[in-house]
Amino acid sequence: MNEAAGGVIVIGPWQLALATLFVVFVGIVSVRLALGITKDLAIATVRTYVQLLALGFVLRWVFGINSPWLVLGILLLMVLMASRILIQRSPDAPRGIFASVFISQALTGFLVTFAVTGVIVQVKPWYLPQYVIPLAGMVIGNSMTGIALALERMFADLDARKDEVLALTALGATPWEASHGAIRLALRAGLIPTINSMAAAGIVFIPGMMSGQILAGADPVTATGYQIVVMLMVAAATALGSVVALVLTYRRRFTPDGVFLEKGMRPDS
Amino acid sequence: MLDGVSLSVAAGEIVDIVGPSGSGKTTFLRALARLLPAASGELLLGSVPAEKIPATEWRCRVALQPQKPALTEGDVRANLLLPWTLRVRHGRPRPSDAALAEALASVGLDDIGLDRDAARLSVGQVARVALLRVTLTTPDVLLLDEPDAALDDDSALSVATLTRAFAEKGGAVVRVRHHRSDGLAARRLLLEGGRLAVSSAGTASPAREEVVS
Repeated sequence: MNEAAGGVIVIGPWQLALATLFVVFVGIVSVRLALGITKDLAIATVRTYVQLLALGFVLRWVFGINSPWLVLGILLLMVLMASRILIQRSPDAPRGIFASVFISQALTGFLVTFAVTGVIVQVKPWYLPQYVIPLAGMVIGNSMTGIALALERMFADLDARKDEVLALTALGATPWEASHGAIRLALRAGLIPTINSMAAAGIVFIPGMMSGQILAGADPVTATGYQIVVMLMVAAATALGSVVALVLTYRRRFTPDGVFLEKGMRPDS
Repeated sequence: MLDGVSLSVAAGEIVDIVGPSGSGKTTFLRALARLLPAASGELLLGSVPAEKIPATEWRCRVALQPQKPALTEGDVRANLLLPWTLRVRHGRPRPSDAALAEALASVGLDDIGLDRDAARLSVGQVARVALLRVTLTTPDVLLLDEPDAALDDDSALSVATLTRAFAEKGGAVVRVRHHRSDGLAARRLLLEGGRLAVSSAGTASPAREEVVS
């Protein structure tokens, strides 16, 4: 066992190799039973190694440099990547919504992260990377999932309810009024994973951040405080991000005259 | 799909448009209600060109009842009052419960009541509630896309009665129909090959007109 400062037991190359043996064992079983998951499993394992090791070294470097511009740049990069993934996950959404998605992610990512680090945790200096980057990662990653669900749901729902949308528009409804039902449902759909994990936290599982702090030797009650802040922050970011993304994009499925573009009427399909 | 089609309808007149399926009847009605993206042509209400009237306002006055009547979640009352929840009718007086009940009775729906959940209505009841919803807003022109296509005889008769009552109060009606004539329409026009031709004519003075070309 390798002891390190702060009471954390360090995982060395031998421990990593041992952990990898589990995956190798599963791989052997998969080959024997012809389960066909060997290749995926191997690729996933290699990715885990490469991506997380890279992350570790990058973070160590960033923490060493300790520059506000570098921190802001990393946050911006996270938002960009999240926006790209988000678009890929919303096949029913119209094209050309990248800017809207980026704005909603950037707005919530920066706003919520710095509200937490600046007002609640009060880190000094304000850009302290070991606080700002992990918290931003949780805010952006979780709100990305919520926003993707909300967007996909809204555009799928508008298509599914095209008769109702047409009837409403024919009665004089604006696009906002005609989409309102779909927007409401989409917001709820985007928030459900967050609300579910809030409801199950502490009963079904120990949330990831709290587990990490406890493993790192923190007092469980101290870790609780952080976890509560993180969960509320994720819920707020998801709700805020979804609202902004939905409001910025719903209009794209309508003509300037307010007519819903059904499948087959769309220039991009 | 449509090219060079032109039609004018007078106040109080009922015009039927017939034609083979796929000939563009629904498209034509949607163009009249300004619900057709990328349509071009000239639309007049009275003597006012469409460009002078905001689209939502136009659709209040030239109201389309789509082929598939769609009610929203909620009870019958909420559905009938839905048009008055829209911004375009903000501040206009909404009908009282008594007026709504009377309207329901006029189409043989006195038994369902205003508190009935719209999800529990039959196809024929949905069609009548949806038609009431639009006629209660008293548009100038009513566009009906196959109003009685999927209906039993009693429901179809109620729909015809309501349509006639609307026209008698001075509303203009354009109907797309498949069925044989029910004797309501002053004119029957045949839409075929993108052209509109007289199938059988009556006479009326064009006090209110619409033209699409």
